[in-house]
Amino acid sequence: MPGGDFHPWLFFILAAWILICGLGVVAFKKVMYSAASMVACFLGVAFAYALLNAPLVAVVQILVYVGAISIVIIFAIMLTEVQDGGYDLFFNRQAVLAAPLAVAAAAVLTVVVVTADVGQIGDKALNPSVKGISLLLFKGYVFPFELVSLVLVAAMIGALVLARKEEEKS
Amino acid sequence: MEGTQYMKIAVALIVLLPLAGFIITLLLGKRLFRARSHILPVALVTVTAVLSVYAFEWVVRHPDTAFVWNAFSWVAAGRFTVEWGFLVDPLTGIMLLVVGIIGMLVHYYSIGYMKDDPGYYRFFAYLNLFMFAMFVLILANNYLLLFLGWEGVGLCSYLLISFWFRKKSASQAGKKAFLVNRVGDFGFTLGMFLIFVTTGTLQFTGVFDKAEMIGSGTLLWICLLLFTGAVGKSAQFPLHVWLPDAMEGPTPVSALIHAATMVNAGVYMVARSYPLFVQAHTAMLIVMIIGTFTAIYSAYIAITQNDIKKVIAYSTISSLGFMFMALGAGAWAAGIFYLFAHGFFKGLLFLCSGSVIHAMGGEQDMRNMGGLRKKIPITFWTMLIGAIALIGVFPFAGFWAKDEILGSDFSGGYYVVWAVGIVTAFLTAVFAFRLIFMTFFGKSRASEEVQRHIHESAKVMTIPLVLLAIPAALLGILVGWPPDTGWIHTFLQPVFFDVEREKFVWVGVGGGLMVFSVAVALLGVYVAYVMYIRRTELPGRLAARLPVAYEASFNKMYMDQVYEVVPIRSTIAFAGWLWTFFDVKVIDGAVNGLARLWELLGERLRPLQTGRVQNYAFSIFAGMLVLVVVLAWVWGS
Amino acid sequence: MNALYWWLTLAVLLFCIGAFGVLVRRNVIVVVMCLELMLNAVNIALVAISNFRAGALGAGTLFSLFIITLAAAEVTVGLAIVIANYRNRRTVQTDQYDELKG
Repeated sequence: MPGGDFHPWLFFILAAWILICGLGVVAFKKVMYSAASMVACFLGVAFAYALLNAPLVAVVQILVYVGAISIVIIFAIMLTEVQDGGYDLFFNRQAVLAAPLAVAAAAVLTVVVVTADVGQIGDKALNPSVKGISLLLFKGYVFPFELVSLVLVAAMIGALVLARKEEEKS
Repeated sequence: MEGTQYMKIAVALIVLLPLAGFIITLLLGKRLFRARSHILPVALVTVTAVLSVYAFEWVVRHPDTAFVWNAFSWVAAGRFTVEWGFLVDPLTGIMLLVVGIIGMLVHYYSIGYMKDDPGYYRFFAYLNLFMFAMFVLILANNYLLLFLGWEGVGLCSYLLISFWFRKKSASQAGKKAFLVNRVGDFGFTLGMFLIFVTTGTLQFTGVFDKAEMIGSGTLLWICLLLFTGAVGKSAQFPLHVWLPDAMEGPTPVSALIHAATMVNAGVYMVARSYPLFVQAHTAMLIVMIIGTFTAIYSAYIAITQNDIKKVIAYSTISSLGFMFMALGAGAWAAGIFYLFAHGFFKGLLFLCSGSVIHAMGGEQDMRNMGGLRKKIPITFWTMLIGAIALIGVFPFAGFWAKDEILGSDFSGGYYVVWAVGIVTAFLTAVFAFRLIFMTFFGKSRASEEVQRHIHESAKVMTIPLVLLAIPAALLGILVGWPPDTGWIHTFLQPVFFDVEREKFVWVGVGGGLMVFSVAVALLGVYVAYVMYIRRTELPGRLAARLPVAYEASFNKMYMDQVYEVVPIRSTIAFAGWLWTFFDVKVIDGAVNGLARLWELLGERLRPLQTGRVQNYAFSIFAGMLVLVVVLAWVWGS
Repeated sequence: MNALYWWLTLAVLLFCIGAFGVLVRRNVIVVVMCLELMLNAVNIALVAISNFRAGALGAGTLFSLFIITLAAAEVTVGLAIVIANYRNRRTVQTDQYDELKG
């Protein structure tokens, strides 16, 4: 059972929530609905992190995903809101092939994961505390941390350059 | 051991000084030395000549011990090790004398001969490089180092034959020499491989120690392959064709490289491999047959040639054939004796011919000479000595060596070889004195213009002639007397240890043979005298009477034509086939076909590139799935 | 059954749903959303492994933080591209982006 100091049913309810919301993202014809479903899914995932003894990740998930990314995506939707008229299908033509592939992948990966020897596993939660994570981050992984900050700066500048209107030329 | 320190220094200097001379002269000659380019090389070669004499003298003082010095390691690859090792034994000692002294004299002579040549510095640089390579060749104590020198002298030969490279014929002759030698060198290389494979070493002593253990079939092959190299280098039939053409080079080069030293390398190498050859009787027999045939064959060609240098060139081939005949017949020491004497008198003859050419203003055709006796007396007298030494008249150098060879042919039971040798001796006398008579006697056939300019060469050229004439005259009696047991035999005994020395019989067969061969030589001189002085119309009539014999001789037995047809044409035809069929059809076809194949494939595969990201993502995802399945299956089981 | 397997199965399923969306949806913004689902699936797996496996030492959790950060960067740049592209082509339909057709 999905151990920890919570009722197993909690896990199943949460998992169902996450998966149904995920399916919603794929299945809603309207883009806005998909976005809403995605936000709901992200919230579920944040809750999962909390159950997995990782409160910091849960908080970051809410801040970044539910807060920032969702907003950016909704902005993008609104900026590009077009009449999808002329396109009846919201799935493309390879859906016929992609559906069995995805099902097969799910089956295979599940089997692989479930039968995998993941080594010594206890029910005891091992995730480090916030303090532990910060120690890890600023001691052992300080170099990747700095690199990530660089990536963020680059992404920020890149997004500005890409999305800005070209005034001087046209 | 006493003196080895000095010997090491001497040997090192003998090798290094000419090399230094080469490098310095080549680098600085053009800009700095110019007309003084000769000073450094000549000085260095003089020192090496003195050192060579010292080394020789050391060998004389230590008759029972060979000087061996492994200076440093050259190649060390597992089982295969080669040293920069030097060996000085009596055989090397004699070669050192020949190379050192003649090399020095030729250097002096070149000062005068090459004066005002635009390539003056280059000439002396090459000569020094040649000396370096030649010394490496004769001092080496293993086959690979010998081969290094061997190739080095070949390179210098090429460079010096085509020294006047603006002349088409000279550059062609250089190429010819190089290519023909390559055939022989290929055999030599294979021989070396075989030696290494069989004995596991290339060191002379190591190889010779195991000589008796080599199977007779393998040994025969080794000897024949080595002899192939010798045939190329020493211009034996059928690889002799390069030597006459090599006369395109400056005459000092002909004297040094193509008479006295480099062409002897083949003889030297076979003599050095004596312990191998002596076990392989078939190989010895082949050596003798090739040598004998070459001797008479080229002597026969020499009697009709008109170019003064070509005559001597064919004479050289003939003499080299004589040496191989001696080696093959088991008269090892006599062969080396002949080499020793030949180096001096043939070098002398070449230098004299150079002096003649110099006097005639570059004319080489004897039909345009004549009557030079009074005008260039020193050249005449020295050349006469050289010619007498060549034809082997008592008591000049050639006599002792030649008669020992013929004597051993006779006593060895090779009567046919002996008879051929006698005929060769007769022909040699004819063409040698034909040369003398046509050049120095009779009326001058040169134009007025040329006649007015005829002059004796400068001192720097005539003195070497005189210095060479002395050993050409006296060497034989000094080292070769009494025959078969003379000093040179005692001296070479440590090298050719197995040869039984017969006591020469003065009265009876031995003496009779001697008298006979001298008589034959004098008869040849007389025939030449009749034909070229008394009745000068005779040669023409003889040629008309025997057109086939004359044409064959005059056209060098059509060997050049044979080569033209067999290897050259067929190679060209083969190359043409390679070009028109193999290159155009197969190679180009393969390349173009491949290109067309990819083009077709690309046309077929084009639709895969839809440009739509999701199609690609599909492939990625499917590929990932396949990978997971494969890896799970591999790791799971 | 161990607890970790349940969480991993959840991650696998969410991942496949996201992947399916990426493969089939024609609106490029939805494709971006589905990509986020896949990233979340991976994060769940990482945090779960970090939580249950001895020897993971919390590195999985840490990695999920890095992934979240990079996902934020990716979304920013990705959507900037989408908007720039939209400005030129007036469309967000993936199957109309086929300039690189061979």
